[in-house]
Amino acid sequence: MLILSDFRLHRPASLADALLLRAELGDEGAVYAGGTELLLALKMGVLEYEHLIDIKRCPELRGVQQVDGTVRIGAATTHRDLETSPLLARLLPALAELERHVANIRVRAAGTIGGNLAFAEPHADPPAMLTALDARVELAGPAGVRELPVEDFVLGAYETALGDDELVTAVVVPVPPAGVRATYRKLATLERPTVGVAVMGEVAGDTFATAPAVVVGAVDERPLRVDATPLAGASVRDRDALEAVVEAARDLVDPVDDLSGSADYKRHLTGVVTRRALEHIVDPGSPS
Amino acid sequence: MSDTTTTAVTGRINGREQTLQIDNADLLLDVLRDLGLRGAKPSCEMEVCGACTVQLDGLPVSACTTLAAEIDGRDVETIEHLDADGTLHPVQEAFLRHSALQCGFCTPGMVMTAKALLEQDPDPSREDVVHWLEGSICRCTGYATIIDAVLDAAEVMRRAR
Amino acid sequence: MPDELKVVGHSVPRVDGPAKVTGRAPYALDLTVPGMVHGIAVRSERAHARIVSIDVEAAEAAPEVLAVVTAASVAPLDVRFGHVARDHPALACDRVMYHGEPVALVVARTPRAAARAARLVRVHYDELDAVIDAETALQDDAPLLHPDRVAPLGDAGLDAGAADLTGNLCAESTVGWGDVDTAMAAADLVVEGEYRYPMLYGYAMEPYNAIASFEEGTLVVHSTAQHPYMVREDLARMFGLPLARVRVVVPYVGGGYGTKSYTKVEPLAALGAWVTGHPVRVALSVEEAMLTTRSDGAHIRARSGFAADGTLLAREFDVVMDSGAYTDNSPVVCAKLANRCFGPYRVPAVRVRVRSVFTNTVPASSLRGFGAPQGALAGELQMDEAAQRLSIDPVDLRLRNVVAPGEEILPRKRGIDADLAEDLRMLTGSLGWGGPSAPGTGIGFGLTASDAGAHPTSVAMVRLHADGSASAAVGATELGQGSRTVLSQIVAECLGLPFDRVAILAADTGATPYERTTGASRTTTLVGRSLQAACADVRRRVREVAAEVAGVDASAVVDLPAGVSVGGERWDYAEVLSRWFGAGGELVGVGEVRRAGEFQAMPPFWEVGASGVVVDVDAETGVVSVLQLTTVGDVGIAINPVLVHGQDLGAATMGLGAALSEALVYDGEALANPNVVDYRVPRSSDVPDRLELLLVERRDGIGPFGAKGSGEGALNPIGSAVAAAVGRAIGVFPHELPLTPERVWRLAQERVGDVRT
Repeated sequence: MLILSDFRLHRPASLADALLLRAELGDEGAVYAGGTELLLALKMGVLEYEHLIDIKRCPELRGVQQVDGTVRIGAATTHRDLETSPLLARLLPALAELERHVANIRVRAAGTIGGNLAFAEPHADPPAMLTALDARVELAGPAGVRELPVEDFVLGAYETALGDDELVTAVVVPVPPAGVRATYRKLATLERPTVGVAVMGEVAGDTFATAPAVVVGAVDERPLRVDATPLAGASVRDRDALEAVVEAARDLVDPVDDLSGSADYKRHLTGVVTRRALEHIVDPGSPS
Repeated sequence: MSDTTTTAVTGRINGREQTLQIDNADLLLDVLRDLGLRGAKPSCEMEVCGACTVQLDGLPVSACTTLAAEIDGRDVETIEHLDADGTLHPVQEAFLRHSALQCGFCTPGMVMTAKALLEQDPDPSREDVVHWLEGSICRCTGYATIIDAVLDAAEVMRRAR
Repeated sequence: MPDELKVVGHSVPRVDGPAKVTGRAPYALDLTVPGMVHGIAVRSERAHARIVSIDVEAAEAAPEVLAVVTAASVAPLDVRFGHVARDHPALACDRVMYHGEPVALVVARTPRAAARAARLVRVHYDELDAVIDAETALQDDAPLLHPDRVAPLGDAGLDAGAADLTGNLCAESTVGWGDVDTAMAAADLVVEGEYRYPMLYGYAMEPYNAIASFEEGTLVVHSTAQHPYMVREDLARMFGLPLARVRVVVPYVGGGYGTKSYTKVEPLAALGAWVTGHPVRVALSVEEAMLTTRSDGAHIRARSGFAADGTLLAREFDVVMDSGAYTDNSPVVCAKLANRCFGPYRVPAVRVRVRSVFTNTVPASSLRGFGAPQGALAGELQMDEAAQRLSIDPVDLRLRNVVAPGEEILPRKRGIDADLAEDLRMLTGSLGWGGPSAPGTGIGFGLTASDAGAHPTSVAMVRLHADGSASAAVGATELGQGSRTVLSQIVAECLGLPFDRVAILAADTGATPYERTTGASRTTTLVGRSLQAACADVRRRVREVAAEVAGVDASAVVDLPAGVSVGGERWDYAEVLSRWFGAGGELVGVGEVRRAGEFQAMPPFWEVGASGVVVDVDAETGVVSVLQLTTVGDVGIAINPVLVHGQDLGAATMGLGAALSEALVYDGEALANPNVVDYRVPRSSDVPDRLELLLVERRDGIGPFGAKGSGEGALNPIGSAVAAAVGRAIGVFPHELPLTPERVWRLAQERVGDVRT
């Protein structure tokens, strides 16, 4: 039977109060938002905390807004909020589509984007996409606010640059300029993604204006950027250029054998999903 | 606040406001079942099967992985509320028409998930229904009758509007 | 549908529907008993070890803890159970035999207190060599898991194979006739191969749970048991009680599929109650349920010899089943696998040996299909492989060899009560076999006939009440299959009552008469027949008392729907009872089925499986999508067609899980995936868009109105059908399930242009 150990529950009503609690409790306190990852880990006894700080009552941490060429997503915004946000659908449709396919509806209704990043479970969908989109994580702490690119925030499996006295307050995603598209393709053999590949690039006809951003998620402990230089100025139908990038993706990852597949298979899938993501961004009707 | 491991909460459970002293480590599922609301069932305990689904502010959640303290200031609805006025919900009627159940252990969660879907989207496609039910496991039926029932309920509800 | 039937043959709504859609249907997990406390098992962290000591003091001193129960603490009670051989201790005695085995039971006032205290129990082990793999366990130098063998109980109703067992053999069954070696030598083609069927977890969504209490010297248990009467026998033996003083009650059950056959957690709850004097609930988590029972994995070596024209000349099967730590039901599965693997074909020479082997893994027992899916994977795939190599259409190949109606499959057993050739034609017609197929797609199908493991012992009681309504008492459990609905229909039909004037009592060994088990499709067929007999008996009583009241000879009283005619005058049941008793009263009829007369020949009926799929394979990723599923429900008569469709689709979907994603995986000495996150069962998106659930009603079964079985058949050929379909799509016939994307991708890689043999 899965049970929780006793803990104290703090429910600050403002970001300032939440930060005071963070500073006071340090690593004895866990930040709690949707709980979809944290409560599971607590129930299984993988993690144990004396304090949970519920940040859902901090109004500063919720909502999706357009701010100066970016979309600012409050850390406690749920996947379901993002899936249904008209603003996101208009400005970042690929992220909205990704959010529609995160886990299941119950997890989307409770789980938050900030929690997803801060928990840093490697087999997650959003980090690869946010990396490709050049998104930044906004962190608040005693010393003030700082921003880090997502790829500098996620350091490894369950490991981030978040300080014990800090909170993730928002994810800031630049709105891609006109002509730039993004897509995310994934394959899941079990519950979580086995391989997820995000691509962002400027496409005219079937040609990439510059090298697209290609990021492989869920295979390694953190999202990895693939060198897609061979596709700069190349058509997606240029098999040599395409396969060079696919090969680069395969070479880049360092998968491990686990229940979702062997390292060999995951390396192979990384190539397949990378190719399909690149084809999909040019031709959204291509098979996934 | 929070000198102890319990929390006083006030929330609406099936339309009735209740104030409870909640043990922080209590999960919503355990509290609901202790209150006699045993339609929501424990099964996987890991948010994948959907047997414990209840609606929290209208959206489906896994009561097995939701702190009971979350009901503070919020609205919880369980299967028991659906026919509180003596008539079945159209989703329940449709499940009966389509024989969309066998052992019935997943049924309350399926019904609550379907009801939440139709509240969010009164006119879902078959693909939308499958997508919403993807997180709800049924081991008996093979799902087809459940999907049919949800689409049928959607139509009945649209006509009644 | 023959129109003389008023209720039978119609899709009347399920009687349990309203209770289930409102969440009010009570399951064992929903019951509470006053004073109830909670037991949580402490489980072994070794696969094979001697228990040196169990340190329980810290746990016993923990808040709200009543007791920590161990096998030693309840001595001299013998805590072992088992219906074939009594070798399975409810709590490990001096040795643990698998990782996850219960070692102690912590009983506390709340589940949380019990769970927290359970973490304080320290078990000191002296590790022994463990053997996880069945092939290794068969070797001479393998550690011996049961050095002190327990003699089998010798239940005459169980087909449990040979008795003289050595080494790590849990059971061995052989079947054979003819001269296999000569026939193989003369064959134009011998197809030979090895096949692997995974060990599975049935994932009934309500995990095993039970509440036990001792009330006035009677042990009362509410549980999820499929077979309450079998559990009663185990408990009676364990506690030295007469059967009359053990009462097992089974409310609605959240899924069975065979996983809840036989004894599971009932002894744990009963031991807790015996020690503490309180009613004790033991409710397992899904992870614990996965550590309780699984199905037998099978490694099958098979050879099939054919003449050039496709005639089967000989078949040989050598099967090793991984049966886990204890005997449980594996000997019966072993015997059934032996009977079922060579298929419903006319085979002149057969040699089958199935060995069930002990390993230090979760004990295996029943699961839907019961050896048939394992056997069919090899047996049916070899029909497809032979067809390919002989350039004969695989439908024609099967038609050339399939048994005709009435023909024997097994010597001295009941002949087949079905027209399998016609079923196969319907199946392949629906699948579009022979027509054009899109690249990357494949069609696969299979045919099976299982000798139903349904020993014909069934007793039923019908009570005709003063208002003319009737209730039936049967020991069959309602697992979701719709037994209460179907049995109500049978009673209504026999007594001429409207459906809503009939009720069926929940199984309760203290109140309902004996029913051997609920499984193998026996409820509609055998309980249906005992219930028909009970209805006839109560009708006889009605005529008898009506004649006595009227002062006429009993022959002057004639049955009418819901009443009788007495000298031309209609008396309905209420009137008969009123005239006989004056006030109140009821008439009781009893019916029995036993192994005699028309039930002498075994099996009582054959469970037919004819299922197929159309699949699409993404060869680059290995992902298999099922585009179409067809099942042929050859059920004799569908007492309730909608329920039969539900059984067929549900069974087939369970088969798709085993075919495509489900497998319990051992990582070293422990299960690597004891949860439904990593053990993937079919989801809504896995159901094919095209479903054809065909019904065949030839009224050729022994059950009421000609009924036969349903609910296993559709599953049995699915694994082989999916493998064949994938094989045709990628050009290599897979020999191992599940066909995970990686496995299919690897097969597609190794293809060398022709189908592997």
